[in-house]
Amino acid sequence: MIERKKECIAMLLAGGQGSRLYVLTEDTAKPAVPFGGKYRIIDFSLSNCVNSGIDTVGILTQYQPLELNDYIGNGQPWDLNRNFGGAHVLPPYTRAKHSDWYKGTASAIYQNIAFVDRYNPKYVVMLSGDHIYKMDYHKMLEFHKAKGSECTIAVIDVSPAEATRMGIMSTDENMAITDFEEKPKQPKSCHASMGVYVFTWDVLKQYLIADEADPDSENDFGKNIIPSFLKDGRAMYAYPFEGYWKDVGTLPSLWEANMDLLDPADPLKIHDTSWKIYARNYASPSTRIDPAAKVANSLIAEGCVIRGKVTHSVIYTGCVIEEGASVTGAVIMPNTIVKKGADVNYAIVGERCVIEENAVIGEKPDGGDPFTHNGIAVVGHRKTIASGTVIKPNEIV
Amino acid sequence: MNMTGIIFSETYGEDLDVFTHDRNLAAIPFGGRYRLVDFVLSNMVNSGINNVGVLAKQHYHSLMDHLANNQEWDLNRKNGGLLLLPPFASEAVNHNNRGKLDELRNALNYLEQSNSQYVLLADAYVVYNMDYRPMLQAHIDSGADVTIAATHEPDGSTKVYPSVLQADRSGRVVSYALNTTARPGDYVGMGCLIIAKQLLTSAIQELTAKGIYHLERDFIQHDFNRGKLTLNMFPFEGVCLRIRDVDSYFRSSMAIIDESVGAPLFRGDRPVFTRVTDEIPTYYGPECNVSSCVVADGCVLEGTVDNCVFSRGVRVCKGAVVKNCIIMQGSTVGEGAQLENVIVDKWANITAGAQLKGLATNPVIIRKGAVV
Repeated sequence: MIERKKECIAMLLAGGQGSRLYVLTEDTAKPAVPFGGKYRIIDFSLSNCVNSGIDTVGILTQYQPLELNDYIGNGQPWDLNRNFGGAHVLPPYTRAKHSDWYKGTASAIYQNIAFVDRYNPKYVVMLSGDHIYKMDYHKMLEFHKAKGSECTIAVIDVSPAEATRMGIMSTDENMAITDFEEKPKQPKSCHASMGVYVFTWDVLKQYLIADEADPDSENDFGKNIIPSFLKDGRAMYAYPFEGYWKDVGTLPSLWEANMDLLDPADPLKIHDTSWKIYARNYASPSTRIDPAAKVANSLIAEGCVIRGKVTHSVIYTGCVIEEGASVTGAVIMPNTIVKKGADVNYAIVGERCVIEENAVIGEKPDGGDPFTHNGIAVVGHRKTIASGTVIKPNEIV
Repeated sequence: MNMTGIIFSETYGEDLDVFTHDRNLAAIPFGGRYRLVDFVLSNMVNSGINNVGVLAKQHYHSLMDHLANNQEWDLNRKNGGLLLLPPFASEAVNHNNRGKLDELRNALNYLEQSNSQYVLLADAYVVYNMDYRPMLQAHIDSGADVTIAATHEPDGSTKVYPSVLQADRSGRVVSYALNTTARPGDYVGMGCLIIAKQLLTSAIQELTAKGIYHLERDFIQHDFNRGKLTLNMFPFEGVCLRIRDVDSYFRSSMAIIDESVGAPLFRGDRPVFTRVTDEIPTYYGPECNVSSCVVADGCVLEGTVDNCVFSRGVRVCKGAVVKNCIIMQGSTVGEGAQLENVIVDKWANITAGAQLKGLATNPVIIRKGAVV
């Protein structure tokens, strides 16, 4: 009998802690961190998959998976509730012999070879759930096929200064990868890896098996698999991506990515409905803007009640901004209440927080530009900030 | 739950033709992101009813589209769930709204196959947030044949209502009148009643066989007046908005902007569910001036708006002034346009500089897709 199969499936690495988001990932995995009013970070990768025609996604979880598991559920919000394929959460599991956690990104895929093989795919797209971008993986797959590539790495051009913090690909004129360096001091190129790969599965599978057998390996794609491919002279290409792409792995970059949504030029093209970003929906009512409210240059999700002043801010689902409260340059995550007279400036406030009356969080910059700041103040999830408390810029609570 | 829900999605004497040109009553947008059907349907779901039939006769594509993914209401079930019940291709198709019994005849099989002992019949024109479980309990405790939910009108009303009741202290109905005004102390029906399935199905069969189709007049009132049917009244004290004509649509929409009306309707413990369309959060422009508004997702508001209800994906351009308006999904108000007391149906385009002014008692209505 000829079995059904998929040409291409995706594996999404969502097990990282995201320790540079500090309090925001204390008890939840980075991909589950709320973003942009109504989304979570993982929505971008999942929606890109579906919009690219990939209907099978293995989501590898390990660190604090409760919220993420709950959020993904049966995959219905992303149209990933399929009879054959769909969204599958893949945690580490025990076996008869050699049970282990996911030691690294390569080991996470290695331990799920059986999952991938169920779909007998020719290609596998590897993704991480910590970037904000809209990308058609299908175009990248076509590029991979046209080049006869075995490993294609999506790259975005960055400045030399940024290049020193990223994985950098050197390429020839055909975009064949000639060298790869992680965080080089003297970058030879400006092609930075976006953490998006297309592999020809049967080739990758051999390398995963060999890598797992190597006791000296760190079982990491960047440190081990990619260098092995390079060393062996495998067909490797860099796929140039143009458009908005942002790693939101740090508190300042997470804040910036939120503020980018307020840019009239709309760099992410979030308003482009031909490439929608899907999210799980919680049946919140429409937002109510009261007579006393003053709102400008802000994104406000549903289920909010706004009675105070909101400027240059992103207010997530279900927040209440009381009368006399002022919120400027802030990211206020779901179901948080900012009470009377509280003053929130240039801050990220986690979900389900209560900012009591007259608390002061962050500070307004001296200059005129609303998007420069003296440092972002951060309040973790489910915190109550007592009345009159002052939280300084760069402070993390 | 021992009760099946039936929703009437058509108009029965309501005067909402301006909105029902290509949709039925239940699919009329209301309260920003909702359709009228969402309120009774969510009430049923929040009351544990997971067997819901929606009766539809005409123009039901919009309703089908809205309910297609019944997952939003958690009604994608193997046992029960939501079923749209359009007419069989029978003589009934050729008659417009002969009556609810006629439509219920189309649901006979559906009712007979359900395991529930009771049926909740609900009209879609009434907007309220109610748990039907205490009502069912009251129905069982009363021993009456039919229990009707109603609001108390201590001051009476000059408005004519489809059903007006008088009840004694125990809730036993002593008078049941149709299409009349309420005198002080009367109760006004909410288009919502509970009846035993057996009693309902035999009434449907008996009466429709004789060519009698009016549920309230020819069955309930008729049998009640002859002492053959006992009625019980279940008082409801929450917010109840009856959308029966343009005036009540406009007033009710404006009323929900006020927290005292809006908050009890949209309670966190009994959410109102609706279709999800994955719009992005609403963007408020740098120079916008927004006060007293109810706003759904996906809007871009850059002008001055006061006392308005915005459905999803509405755009109000710079310099536009929009006051006391209801703007439905996907419509645009161009730069510098001035609107007051206007209801703009879906996907309409109010071009730059246009000036439209209605009266609070007689709003201007812009049809779906119109360019003004």
